[in-house]
Amino acid sequence: MTALLTLDAVARAYVGRQGLFGRVTTVRAVDGVSLTLVRGETLGIVGESGSGKSTLGRMALGLETPDEGGVRAFDAPMPALGTPGWRALRRRMQMVFQDPLGALDRRLPVLDQVAEPLTIHAIGDAKARQDVAMAALQAVGLSSEQALRYPHALSGGQRQRVVIARALITDPDLLVCDEPVSALDVSIQAQVVNLLIDMQAARGLAMLFISHDLRVVRQIASRVAVMYLGRIIETGAAADVLRAPRHPYTRALVSAAPAPGRDRADRVILTGEPPNPAARPTGCAFHPRCPLVTDRCRTEAPVLSAIAPAHSAACHLLSTQTPPAAKAA
Amino acid sequence: MADISAQAPFRLTLPRLPWYVWAALIWIVLVLVVAVFAPLLTPHPYTAMKLTNRFVPPFDRWTHPLGTDELGRDVLSRLIISVRISLLIAFGATLISAVLGTTLGFLAAHFRGWVEQLVLTLADFQAAMPFLIMALSVLAFFGNSLPLLIGLMGLYGWERYARVARGLAISANTQGYATAVTQLGAAPQRIYLRHILPNIASTLIVSMTLVFPEVILVESGLSFLGLGVQPPMTSLGNMVGYGRDYITRAPWIMLSPAVVIVLTTLAVSMLGDWLRDKLDPTLG
Amino acid sequence: MLRYFAIRLFRALITIAMVVTFAFVVLRMSGDPAILIMGPEVPPEALEAFRKSWGLDQPIWVQYLNYFGAILRGDLGMSMRDNRPALDMVMDRIPATLALTVPALILKLAIGVPAGVWAALHQGTGFDRAVMVMAVAGFAIPSFILALVLVLVFAVTLGWLPSGGQGGVEHMILPVLTMGIGGAAALARFTRSAMLEVLGRPYIRTASAKGLPWASVVRGHALPNAAIPTVTLIGFLVGSLIAGAVVVESVFSWPGVGRMLVVAVGSRDLAVVQVILLLVAATMVTSNLIVDFLYGVLDPRLRQGARAA
Ligand SMILES: Nc1ncnc2c1ncn2[C@@H]1O[C@H](COP(=O)(O)OP(=O)(O)O)[C@@H](O)[C@H]1O
Ligand code: SF4
Ligand SMILES: [Mg+2]
Repeated sequence: MTALLTLDAVARAYVGRQGLFGRVTTVRAVDGVSLTLVRGETLGIVGESGSGKSTLGRMALGLETPDEGGVRAFDAPMPALGTPGWRALRRRMQMVFQDPLGALDRRLPVLDQVAEPLTIHAIGDAKARQDVAMAALQAVGLSSEQALRYPHALSGGQRQRVVIARALITDPDLLVCDEPVSALDVSIQAQVVNLLIDMQAARGLAMLFISHDLRVVRQIASRVAVMYLGRIIETGAAADVLRAPRHPYTRALVSAAPAPGRDRADRVILTGEPPNPAARPTGCAFHPRCPLVTDRCRTEAPVLSAIAPAHSAACHLLSTQTPPAAKAA
Repeated sequence: MADISAQAPFRLTLPRLPWYVWAALIWIVLVLVVAVFAPLLTPHPYTAMKLTNRFVPPFDRWTHPLGTDELGRDVLSRLIISVRISLLIAFGATLISAVLGTTLGFLAAHFRGWVEQLVLTLADFQAAMPFLIMALSVLAFFGNSLPLLIGLMGLYGWERYARVARGLAISANTQGYATAVTQLGAAPQRIYLRHILPNIASTLIVSMTLVFPEVILVESGLSFLGLGVQPPMTSLGNMVGYGRDYITRAPWIMLSPAVVIVLTTLAVSMLGDWLRDKLDPTLG
Repeated sequence: MLRYFAIRLFRALITIAMVVTFAFVVLRMSGDPAILIMGPEVPPEALEAFRKSWGLDQPIWVQYLNYFGAILRGDLGMSMRDNRPALDMVMDRIPATLALTVPALILKLAIGVPAGVWAALHQGTGFDRAVMVMAVAGFAIPSFILALVLVLVFAVTLGWLPSGGQGGVEHMILPVLTMGIGGAAALARFTRSAMLEVLGRPYIRTASAKGLPWASVVRGHALPNAAIPTVTLIGFLVGSLIAGAVVVESVFSWPGVGRMLVVAVGSRDLAVVQVILLLVAATMVTSNLIVDFLYGVLDPRLRQGARAA
């Protein structure tokens, strides 16, 4: 199957100032990430806050232009941000934001906002748009009375349903969800995740699902990529990566998130400072916190390489124990 | 930030307004009614002279409740027409300046870079130069007419709308609904006009109520100096200006328009202050 | 620090250049300068000669540069009415304007600043409310109305003071009062809110919680900090001295620069208007510059901010 979306070694750095005297710092938010996404698949991106997940998601949609590397969507290079070609492509790739209240206009009834993509892309006439939008809202579980309300008159979960309905109304092929449930009440999260799973299955959507919450990713993703300080350090089928993590960082993450049927005894505790993208450690970026650190880790950066079929990781221990060449055979 | 939830400005329960806001509102409505229906309300044509009837003091005759001027013209009739002209200029100018300033502010927010620098430099310049002096220079070079006067007054205060609109548009663009709508594929004009403008409208309206009384004051100052509205047309400042020549013999000629100027500016600025405290405490 | 001042100086020069450009654009847009200056009845050959001698036959940008050059040389043209250099005529009037505006400025400061500070320190008292009412009234009553009311009371009704003209100190009292009262109200309101803002800051509360006497907290911490924004307004008041004099000088027939401007606009004496425009811009820019320099001295955070920027 051909890829809907391909990211080829994309990198994005932000230049900022720190402190009163304005020391210029460069933050490499995303640093050489490659991935592909095919129709009907959900790729989960996990990692701590600040690891570059949102930046990656924005580059995948062309909302931000990579400094290095390229993005291809639907077998063509991503058009430049804001161009007519870019705007037309929005019909086929959409986004669900973390904060639904922020993503909605407070001054318009939600029905109008759900109908807006149809207006923008000149689909149907005014009457048809309203009907389609109403149907879409009902499909995500809102009543026709709630459809006429303003965002602040809905609950958090209802707002996120509105955002999802709006994202899906042009029948896109690709959906990027950036922490779609982290702002929601825990009791609501499962409902919204189930809604996304249903929608994805019914439409054969390709989905990039960003979250720092492994439980949610486990539910929805077929493949997973784990990010640490802007790089992917482990990737593979969700079942492999989340049940039998290999990279020391992933193992720490997974053990921190309790899963059914696992013993608390083998918990690996993450120690040390949380990562600071402005001061990236030398060698393996994880080395200051890694329980298995060696001298080599401090100087030499490991590269992402295959450790099992369709399973890669970036760790010296893994690649020396099982060299990629031996494994691929 | 103009982060006002949608219901706030429009569902005010009326009886809870403080008394001075009521007083201001009543005065403003009165003045507006007078301005709109002015030709129907004047007891006499405002230019009608009657030299046998000069300098009639107020409350002396029923036919001239506010007295007559040096040419025997009815002061009340002239006052009514003056209110109409002064408000026409103030409304026209406030509208022009709000549209101009908001547009420039949006352009600055959208393009950033040198466009933004240009707008900000122009705004600084406008804020630094005393408006009266610039207005006088323009009038000296171009002469005078009502459209020119309205256009000129329309430059008053644009920099304030521009700064407000730019700041709010930038913050809307960096997070939230504007990003979301961009992401839907909307063109910039849709984002600015259909989404950002309604969201910042309340802040702009507060700015307008703060600029409006100042426009009345500048226009009446210019007309008072004889450089604004020209006879036979009349405005409030104009009446005060001509009335001052008769301040000893007939002070009422200048007093009634003076009172209307002061009460109107007072009413609008009190309403503006109150609205600002209610809606947008961050505004200057 | 140096960089901060350099940036300010550069901005000041830009403002002046913009005023000159403004004058040039307005002058050119208002019609054919030859006809404007020579009058419409002049024969065409004379107009042609005038255009040549003033370089009006050259491309517009050359004219613009020439105009700039002339202004830099202090060549600001002749008054059409009096046939004297416009610059000299304006300079002659400056002392009269200063005689009104400087006492008025002192009056504004002497009333406005203490009233604002006192009102802030006694927030909510009768005095505070009185200051606020005065401030609102001071805004809503334009100076020409205030002037006429003062004339009506003190000159017409009581007969204590002359209603206009130049003469002894008694001629200056009403104009100075007119300018001073309005400005004092605005300054009081501004000082009050600057002071209240500073008094609400945590370090003031910390200082007084540490047991420092309130008076020394106010003197040592609150006043210097509230002075920073207030200095800006004072700078603006200094810069707009001439602009503020326009109305008052006209009402009181005071022969200063402001009245001259009104007369010149009325008779379209363009050279005089232009000189006054540039003079106002120069005062405004200079006082802004001084304020910026004072800022740099008063507020060390700003210096560092400027270095960072
Ligand atoms: N617009 C931006 N300007 C400057 N720095 C940014 C910007 N966006 C993200 N960053 C920085 O890039 C890093 C990665 O951020 P982000 O992609 O939001 O990570 P995540 O979504 O995983 O929390 C962070 O250090 C963040 O501070
Ligand atoms: S490379 Fe070294 S520091 Fe990095 S994860 Fe592997 S063992 Fe730990
Ligand atoms: Mg994020």
